[in-house]
Parts: sequence; C-alpha cells; structure tokens
Amino acid sequence: MSFSVMVLKNLARRPIRTALTLLGISIGITTVVALGVVTSGLKDTAGEIIRLGDADFMVAQDGAADLSFSIVAAEDVEKLADYPEVERAEGMLFHIARVGSNPYFFLIGRRADDLAGNPPPLREGELWAAGAEDEILLGSRAADDLGAGVGDTVEIEDREFRVSGIHQSGRLWEDGGAYAPLEVAQEIAGKSGVVTAVFVSVEQGANPAAVAAGIEEDFPNLATVTNVDDYAKVDQGIQTLDAVNIAISVLAVGIGAIGVMNTMVMSVLERTREIGILRAVGWSGRRILRMIIAESLILCVLAAFVGAVLGILATRAILLIDTVSNLLEPQYTPEVFIRALVVAVVVALVGAAYPAFRAVRLTPMEALRYE
Amino acid sequence: MNSDAPVIDVRGLVKTFEDGLVRALDGADFTADKGEFVAVQGPSGCGKSTLLHLIAALDRPDGGIIRVNGRDLAHERDLSRYRAREVGLVFQLDNLLPTLGASENVQVPMFELGFSAAERRERARKLLEQVGLEQRERNLPAQLSGGERQRVAMARALANDPPILLADEPTGRLDSDSGRRVLDLLEQLRSQRGLTVVLVTHDAEVAQRAQRIVRMLDGRVIGEGVAGVAPESRTPSSTG
Repeated sequence: MSFSVMVLKNLARRPIRTALTLLGISIGITTVVALGVVTSGLKDTAGEIIRLGDADFMVAQDGAADLSFSIVAAEDVEKLADYPEVERAEGMLFHIARVGSNPYFFLIGRRADDLAGNPPPLREGELWAAGAEDEILLGSRAADDLGAGVGDTVEIEDREFRVSGIHQSGRLWEDGGAYAPLEVAQEIAGKSGVVTAVFVSVEQGANPAAVAAGIEEDFPNLATVTNVDDYAKVDQGIQTLDAVNIAISVLAVGIGAIGVMNTMVMSVLERTREIGILRAVGWSGRRILRMIIAESLILCVLAAFVGAVLGILATRAILLIDTVSNLLEPQYTPEVFIRALVVAVVVALVGAAYPAFRAVRLTPMEALRYE
Repeated sequence: MNSDAPVIDVRGLVKTFEDGLVRALDGADFTADKGEFVAVQGPSGCGKSTLLHLIAALDRPDGGIIRVNGRDLAHERDLSRYRAREVGLVFQLDNLLPTLGASENVQVPMFELGFSAAERRERARKLLEQVGLEQRERNLPAQLSGGERQRVAMARALANDPPILLADEPTGRLDSDSGRRVLDLLEQLRSQRGLTVVLVTHDAEVAQRAQRIVRMLDGRVIGEGVAGVAPESRTPSSTG
C-alpha cells in the first residue's frame, strides 16, 4: 500500500460528500475558466486592433471608457503623420452597427489611398476605388452570414452599399464587418471630421516605444497603445473584465475554501480516533499534516480538472448564441488553466489548514479518547 | 546505558486529568528488565492504563521520570520516532483502521521507517504469517473475528521490530478461548523475538501468564511478586 492509496481510500469512504464538495469547487473553477477564456479572447482582439494596418502602435483619445467612444481630430492625424520618425499615421473610424442578425458589425472607415497602401487579404473582388461613396469591402464571415457576394447590395443603417470585394484576415471582428470609405463611415456614425484611432508606423531604425512616449508628451489629449497592457488607457472594458475575473477568483477561493474546510473538518473530526491510532503507531505530526493536505489537494485538483472541462463546455454553450459568437473569439490560453489550478491549490491549502492544525495539535491520547 | 539497568525505569510518575481534580498516577514507580514479561494488575481506575500510555509516550506526565532504554521521555520534544521504533502497542480495542485490509493495517507504522512499498508488503506478509493470518491479508477488520483483529493488531505492533511490546487489556473484549490464544501468541512472540512485554490487566488469571506481577491501586504500585506467588506488599515510600 502506498501513501497515496491511503489518501484516496480516505476520500472514497464518503463518496457522496466528496463528490458534492468536488462539484462545489468545480463550479467556482468553471466561472474562473469561462471568464478567463473570454478575457483572453478580448485581449487577443485588442492586440490585433493595436496592430491594424501593420502599425507599430495605436493612438487614441486618452481616458476613453471604450475605444469606440474615442475621438481624434483630423488635424491631430495630420500632425501625427508629420511627427518626427513617423513613417505613416492612418486615422480610422470604428463604428458598431446592426447588420442582418449581427448587432456587432464592425464598420471600419479608411481613406481609399490608405486602404490601397495597406489592404487586408482579399478573398475575391477588388478594393473600392477613390471617390467611391456607396461601396464596401465586406468581411468573409459577414458575407457568408448575409449570403452576399461581389456585386451584391448590403444595407447598413438604412444605406445601401455595393460589395466591391470580400476580405478574409481570419480575425473574427474584422471578417464579421466591412471596410468603407472614411467619409461615409463618419457620416453613418455621425462623427464628421474625426477618427477613432490613428495607427502609426515608425521609420526604419526608429524605436516605436520612444516615438510613442514623445507623442504622449506632445499630445496630452491622446494616449499611445503599444501593447495590450496599455489598452486600458483608451478602453476600460478589458480592465473591468480583468477586475471581475480577479474578484470572482477571490470569491471562488473564499467560497471553495469554506466548502473544503467544512468537508475536511468533518472528515478529520470523524477520524480523530484514527488519527490518534496513527500517532500511537509512530506517525509524525508532519506525516498526518501531509495526509490531510494531500486529501484536500487531490480533491481540489480534481475539481480544477472538472471545472476546466465545464468551463470550456460553458464557453462553447455561450458561443451557440449568435450575438455572442459574432463578438467573441475565446482563447484557451495556458494562463487561464494555470490560474484555475492556482485557485484550486489555494482553496486546498486554505481549506485544509485548520483541520490539519487541529489534528496535529492533539496528543495521541487526546485523539484516542475522542468520542 | 548500563546493561544491567532496567529497559523501562519509571520513578515517581504523576499524571492528573481535569485540571488536577483526577489524579490518575500519584507517584508510581515501575521497572521492567530486558526480555521480561511483566503484568500490571489492578482494579479499574487504579492508573495501570495511564502508566502504560505514558510509557508508550501517548501522553506527557505531570511529574516524575520515565526512562526507556536510557531515553528520558518526559523531556523529549518529538516522541513520534520513539513510538515508531521503540515500542509496539496493543489496545483493548483492536484500533485497526476500518478502511484498510489486514496487510495494509500492519503496514501503516512502516511508513515512518522509510521502507519501500514492496518491503512493506513483504514484512506485513511475514508478520501475518507469524500470527496465523496469512490467508486474511486482504480482509477488512469488519470481516475478521475479535480474536483475529487482535492478532492483526499484534502484527501491527511488531511492524517495526520494536524491543518493547505494551499490551493494554488485549483480551478484555474477547471470549476466554480467543483470549487464551492471543496470550499464547503473545508469549510465543516474546520468546521468539526476545521482547520486553508489559501487559496491563484487571484479570488475575491473565496476569498469571507473566513472569512478574505488579499490583496497582489508586495511582501507585502497591506490591509485586512472581506469578503463582502472593504479591509482596510495599509502601510507596519504600520504593523511592
């Protein structure tokens, strides 16, 4: 018999209690995993947006609650284009519209020459030409959803557009929307003469971080976003979700630890005499401690596994809703599962601490006399 | 340690319970020589089990000295190594772990001595063979008779080859036939292994199986003698 077999036998002696505790912790882990997967997906999207048009970094309105609320004046776009060591600064307007069944149709307004200079990968058709007012370059996913092909007409907020071509980048938000002439997008969004963000590429040999720092200093109303961690400067959404994720993790730890503690206290109380026997035959306090913590760890790590599977299933179930599937591309990153495992281990250690301490504190005789 | 010195040497042992209201041991003296079979006999509540538990280091005394193989137990911080190596314990109730089979129960003390799983299994098999239960290795305690459980408990007590075996009313819950067989086994193991055995009992007939009988009353040793001979009385002060 190995030590682990003994630990497993202890857990198996009350199978229903063990299963219910495992389920309770699993639900907390499920939430942590599902939220983590969603947050990772949003961060991934944020990372893609920052590099739109092969830019080195993005510039947007400082302190915007959401990137779509950011406003950058046309003159600032021009100044940024003329900024030292900047090779290219392209202003784009983002507008979220309901098109067909998709309430999150991502309409991106660009100037024709900018689009021609740095186009998204085309699946078919061609880019709209300079001066076009009623043409769009439709994303492949949106085209499939709408059943629209090159030359067909698509209606966006009561305005009809001819599809000049279909692009496919493999990014959910981009393929689910369309590129339209900047002025047309501004008109639809009611944001004449402004853009949402400016995408900056620096000259060869220049340091993007240094250029971004200079811009932030010279344009106090603007913020530069060079990586996902900077994204909170222009969009509080991910930061909020991150905070919610941490809060739920803490809650999961708290609730889970109470559940585990309850189970372990009951289990240790019931076995007080047996623990006395183990002490009487020479088991050290450290070995008793190891046994109780091992029981708790096995329970919680198993719960982490079950919770991770349930979390993946929950995310998949949520994605069956069209509205969500158009907005969200879940990312099953190792960090999400590591966080779930860390939560489980913390729950195990916190939950086992008191009963283990109690078991070790008793003398063998006190434990043997326990009724 | 002097080779003539007793293996167990207890002097003026005091143990109280319930904040000093109950004085279980009140200056008890006791010795046992190497290889000796000593019975401690007395009525319920005389302190004989408490004496045995203190020698087994299951609890700490409030006063007095306990020396076992030269070790001063009252002043040792960690007694788990002592319990694992120096003494084997058999209780009135078998005190086996209910979820483990006979062999697994016998293996439990061996964890502390760092045997491999295979070594533990093999040692347990040999011990169960010695107590005549080689066919019952996998049986849970609930599937064994009272006498069989007590024999498993004996095998467990000897798991780490301790030089001392302490038995607390090992036949107290058994019918006379099973009790006799358990005592036969105890004697057989003692002579085979050269064990020092301390047996606590209230039963005069059981005590007669020992080489020497120590009588206790009210927390003190009041006399001793060889089996079959009336115990010699002594006053507590004379044992100093």
